[in-house]
Amino acid sequence: MTTSVISADTTPGAATAARGSIELRQVRKTYGDVVAVDELDLVVQPGEFVTLLGPSGSGKTTTMMMVAGFEEHTSGSVLIDGKPVDALPPRERNLGVVFQNYALFPHMNARENVEFALRMRKIPRAERRERAEAALERVGLGGLGGRRPRQLSGGQQQRVALARSLVFNPAALLLDEPMAALDKRLREHMQEEIKTLQKSLGISVLFVTHDQDEAMAMSDRIVVMKDGRIVQSGPPEEVYAHPLTDWVASFLGDTNLVPCTVLERHGSEAVVDLGGLGIGRVQDRGVVGERYAVSIRPEHLKFRPGAPEENGGTGTMVSSTNLGATIRHRITAGGHELQLRELSSESTGRSGAAGEVHVGWDAANAQLLVLEG
Amino acid sequence: MSQTTLERVRPAGRPTPGTSGGRPRRRSGWWLLLAPILAFDALLFLTPLGKLVGSSFSDNAYQRVLSDPLVLRSLANTLTISLASTVVTVLLGYVIALVLWRSGTVMRVVLFAVVLLPFWTGILVKNFAWAVLLQDNGVVNSILQAIGLTDHPIELLHNRFAVIVGMVHCLLPYAVFPIFSSLASIDDRLALAARSLGAREISIFRRIILPLSAPGVSAAGLLVFIISTGFFITPVVMGGPGDMMIANQIDYYARQLTDFSGAAALAVVLTVLVSILVAVYQRVLKAGGQHEAL
Repeated sequence: MTTSVISADTTPGAATAARGSIELRQVRKTYGDVVAVDELDLVVQPGEFVTLLGPSGSGKTTTMMMVAGFEEHTSGSVLIDGKPVDALPPRERNLGVVFQNYALFPHMNARENVEFALRMRKIPRAERRERAEAALERVGLGGLGGRRPRQLSGGQQQRVALARSLVFNPAALLLDEPMAALDKRLREHMQEEIKTLQKSLGISVLFVTHDQDEAMAMSDRIVVMKDGRIVQSGPPEEVYAHPLTDWVASFLGDTNLVPCTVLERHGSEAVVDLGGLGIGRVQDRGVVGERYAVSIRPEHLKFRPGAPEENGGTGTMVSSTNLGATIRHRITAGGHELQLRELSSESTGRSGAAGEVHVGWDAANAQLLVLEG
Repeated sequence: MSQTTLERVRPAGRPTPGTSGGRPRRRSGWWLLLAPILAFDALLFLTPLGKLVGSSFSDNAYQRVLSDPLVLRSLANTLTISLASTVVTVLLGYVIALVLWRSGTVMRVVLFAVVLLPFWTGILVKNFAWAVLLQDNGVVNSILQAIGLTDHPIELLHNRFAVIVGMVHCLLPYAVFPIFSSLASIDDRLALAARSLGAREISIFRRIILPLSAPGVSAAGLLVFIISTGFFITPVVMGGPGDMMIANQIDYYARQLTDFSGAAALAVVLTVLVSILVAVYQRVLKAGGQHEAL
């Protein structure tokens, strides 16, 4: 399944009436002359975990703010549960929002924070308390309801924020870089917890992050954004394995990009001129005479016993870095600096060896990518 | 040569033991920096204050002033006028601080200037300006008559109302700034979060903004009340004979009666009274804070 660059696997018009869907139709946001989000089409299916992934300034947070209703879109339409919410203020959109810094109310304890939404809905005291306690229990904070936010650790604060945004049974959950303030170990732990919680509740999630590992680990679908547009959208494995452009390939994971020109095509195979690296073969589309980039992931670049005739070349080792589980080699070949990553356990003891090396890749692992810049 | 270079490089790379983060712990002698201000205070503040307290204990001064019915009346005036001015100033100041906080950059600069203007104007100028506005044929009375609210001038000057108006005008900046700074320290995302949780603007104000700006309000209240108790010119210019405050009595004792020990005793009485009230105020606030924490 390959998706088009412009409108990423959305089917406008086919509004999903089921609970928890979020749909953006041709949503555009401008600040004066600056276009922050440009004619965005996006659908989050009920129960789906969709990540907006992009660098800062790509419009991902603006997009989320428009869904939440904190920002007004310039044109287009936002639908929740299949109903347009463009005219609704945030408080009537029934969405749970978790902010980057959690935005917990510092003068209320954890339980009061969680109760807030129920209080606003005029739910009787006893029920309010019961539901808040249950929500805190659910995120593993049973018994800590009496603590103020500043008496809680970063991870605990995030759990309170989650409980607070889930306690009123929102249609969907919006998460704005919620793990940015946590250290690596805790972040990975929370990723798993949030994912588990989301699955058990069956709630739709729109997740914003610039962290590709987080996006890979949590999402049902990744929507890669750049300059206010969707560049690619699809399941994490697919976006990683089949990036549409050189930019996506380098943003989502490391890759070696070698500029090339298509010389000829044989069926589904294209022969490309890789400049200093000679001739390559790729299993891909492409127009003869056009310029592209060939992308080879560092884990797909291999040492070869002899100089390969195609799909590879001969170069010199620049550096080898042992990263624990893997070893990263930097090699210059044919005027390009290439990255080769191998498992430490499978290393042939080449680390640190200087002098001539031969590297190559299998045609199946090379991608012909549209040059985007 | 090379030896010294190495010596000099080492601390930057690896802090030598005994220093935290490469910063030398050279704390002794820091208080010398305070010496000039301590000397200044000792000479020009503590010494006269000591003399004043000393002289207040001569000639049965306390007995004398505290049996003067005018003094007792002025003390009562001081407390009620100061309390009223403080309440009005803090309420008005809160509104102004809210508007300042919510306004854009340009509007904010303009409003700050408007709030600061009375700060830079002499108190006599401000009070006389108000006297002109509030007199029988002044602007306020003319407007009231023009719109038909009254057919004869209302007495707006030389009464307690006028004193409070004059004082509030002088005191406003002292309320606006502490309240504004406590509002400015509130994270904008708290309001967004509250909105997403279903709160209306009024609930956001009542449950988030107001409690979080409470420290600024209590600081403003304290500051304004303490300053209020020392007002002297405003009761003279804008008040009537029945609105004299304790500072006016001190002036009367010192200049009309040339009873300096009496004036000193009054000053001590005022200071002690205000200190007690401040202590009670802070005790009450603390208790309130603890109650909230439960």
